[in-house]
Amino acid sequence: MIRSTYLVARRDYLGYVSAWGFWLGLLFTPIILGIFILAPTFAQNAQPTRYYTIIEQGTDFTEAMRAQMSSTEVRTARIILDPMSIADGEPSETLAAFDQALESGASVTEAYEAAGGNPATLPRADFVEVDPPVLTGAELAPYLIGETLIDTVDGPQPLFAALLVNQDTQEIEYWSENLQARTLISAARQAEQDLQLDRALAAVNVSRDVLTEARAARRDVKQQRVRSGEDANVTSEVTQADQAPFVVSIMMAFSLWFLIFSVINYLLMGTIEERSNKIFDSLLTSVKLPHLLAGKLIAVLLLALTLMTFWGVGSSLLTWVMRDSIPDDVGSFLGSMITAAANPALFIPAIISFVLGYLMYGSMFLALGSLCDTIQEAQTLMTPLFVMLMAPLAMLAFAVQDAESALIEIMAWVPFFTPFLLILRMPTEPPVWEVLAQLGMMALTTYIILQLATRVYRAGAVHGAGVNDVMAFFGKLIPGKKTAA
Amino acid sequence: MGDEMPLKMTGVSKWFGNFRAVYELDFDVPQGSIVGFLGPNGAGKSTSLRMALGVLSPDRGEVSLLGQRPNLESLKRVGFLPEERGLYKKMSARQIITYFARLKGMTHRDARARADELLEMMGLGEFGRSRVTKLSKGMAQKVQILSALAHRPEFLILDEPFSGLDPVNQQALEDLIVEEHKRGATIIFSTHVMEHAERLCEKIVMMARGRKVFEGTLNDAFTALGRAVHIGVSEGFDLNAAITPAGFTASQDGDHWRISLTQNQSSQDALRAAIDAGAPITSFTPEEARLRDVFVSLVSEAEAQDLTDTLAADAAQGRDAA
Repeated sequence: MIRSTYLVARRDYLGYVSAWGFWLGLLFTPIILGIFILAPTFAQNAQPTRYYTIIEQGTDFTEAMRAQMSSTEVRTARIILDPMSIADGEPSETLAAFDQALESGASVTEAYEAAGGNPATLPRADFVEVDPPVLTGAELAPYLIGETLIDTVDGPQPLFAALLVNQDTQEIEYWSENLQARTLISAARQAEQDLQLDRALAAVNVSRDVLTEARAARRDVKQQRVRSGEDANVTSEVTQADQAPFVVSIMMAFSLWFLIFSVINYLLMGTIEERSNKIFDSLLTSVKLPHLLAGKLIAVLLLALTLMTFWGVGSSLLTWVMRDSIPDDVGSFLGSMITAAANPALFIPAIISFVLGYLMYGSMFLALGSLCDTIQEAQTLMTPLFVMLMAPLAMLAFAVQDAESALIEIMAWVPFFTPFLLILRMPTEPPVWEVLAQLGMMALTTYIILQLATRVYRAGAVHGAGVNDVMAFFGKLIPGKKTAA
Repeated sequence: MGDEMPLKMTGVSKWFGNFRAVYELDFDVPQGSIVGFLGPNGAGKSTSLRMALGVLSPDRGEVSLLGQRPNLESLKRVGFLPEERGLYKKMSARQIITYFARLKGMTHRDARARADELLEMMGLGEFGRSRVTKLSKGMAQKVQILSALAHRPEFLILDEPFSGLDPVNQQALEDLIVEEHKRGATIIFSTHVMEHAERLCEKIVMMARGRKVFEGTLNDAFTALGRAVHIGVSEGFDLNAAITPAGFTASQDGDHWRISLTQNQSSQDALRAAIDAGAPITSFTPEEARLRDVFVSLVSEAEAQDLTDTLAADAAQGRDAA
């Protein structure tokens, strides 16, 4: 068995890795993923500066709006200066320097530079206020529709929006031809809210500083957890190390899903190729069917491991090359994640889930391919399987919010979802019997599916059963539906 | 090499749903023989060969391949060329032959050396490293045949090996079969082209409508068909009346008479009887028996029998329903 399985696996594996498509996928997948992750930032940076104006008799709203827009810039600068501190609320020297510079009257750019930031990395403001080109709303029309340009530091530009404080009604009007962009109108609403708060405070002779002081004096709500055993002496405060297993489990579940989704296509295509090339009879007189299927599944599993190794080594090398530019706290968070991933309580169920999940879905696609002569035929049967594979992805979103949610807990008992959801549950330390029971159910289901897949494969490979036979089979299951004799 | 009967099928039947593909098939392939497995399209030849290899399981009956039920061990001693030809398109000719030889148990080194040797022998040496997609249909078919015999099997099962080959390549394949036979291999090949069987086979098995209609040597086949001579005589002479006393029967067939010969009568006997009867003979032609005629005759009989059986079964069903 071992020899023939090895030979089939070797041939299939070498066949896959010698194809250009594999290497393109291997190289471009991280690039495409990176583009997806960075796309919003790119999009934001690529967006041209937009110009707006405020028409108001006085300056109250104008001042409030400027403060609001400035606070947005400050927030952006703080995130760029120290993203980890923003995320975990830990005090940071860099941010303290930035805040101090602002308090001493520096502009956002100056404060950013004072805190050690390179001004070139600070994104340009999305919105820039310009002096009103006219004094009444009625005269704004040609500017707003782009017939007349306004003078800006960047030369003549179209006017994106105008905020008009109606002197008669005291209503604030937002004029713009762009009906979808919400940023500026949201900022205007927040500015008005702040303005009214200031007025209310002033009416009762309370300074705005009271609020600022109150905010500064607020106590942090520290997340704690009970520790026992060897950890009893460790602080009860929840740390990065405590959070890391949850992050790692989500990453592992997603990686498992992504790998299965990426490689099962190879099984499908490989089997379709063998069916359409009519190689089955030659193969089945040289190797036993279970050995043949085992070889095929191992070949694609090796392919998945090749992808994982390549991407894993690539990421490690990239991290190593960029080690000096990785902030300490990011480094320590990465360290926590590696420690969490190395925990046998997480990685052993993860490996079992990966192998069983792969075998379960892989054998389904293998069987499917044996029934199809073309990829078009396969598409008819693939849809339900893809829907089944998309469900765990949706559940990852729930797990991000609450890995102990009842939905995750219940759905983890469905063997088709167990490979992904059991990993998500592991950091919540479910009872051992539950883990074993779910692994057992998953193993049993995988075994049954392998048996069924072997029968389907035999039907397709030996008897030439095809998509129409599958349709006829399901047709018979529909009450009252007659099938052709 | 074992002394077992390479292939023995006993009472083998196979149904696909309600369709009877093979029915009560009995035949054997003796050690060291070349057997032609003949029959029209849809006769059940491929199904029978697939059962012989264990790819399909018979619904009834026994199959013995090299003395045992078909299994991976016995299959390692068998070379098989399937009816539906196919190769891995992205592999080279050499890789394919090596791969299948290794699956049959050869070491990598031996398999590769054997692949090179066979490719050279078949004039494909320069195409050994070419992908299958670059080969012509005939070349690809040769590669598939070579992958069936690369591991030097003692029993070769070839399903329609000549189909799709041009006459030159058909001759090359015939030569190859003879070479393999000289090497000691037992061979069975299916075909519906009788000339190949006439030239190569010591024994033939004929199938029609899922049933065996003949098993024996070529001579047995010709005997089964019956021999005849054609004698032309002057117009108005009744040859049948003249030679009946000598134990011959003649029937008029256009401008000549056809005399059927029994097992003990030769064409010379018929000629002598006509001369003795004073027949004014104008021509004499012994009828040359061809396997094609045997084939057409037996297949027609089987089809007629099958039709009769079907009509009888339908009539019986109709009576039952009434």
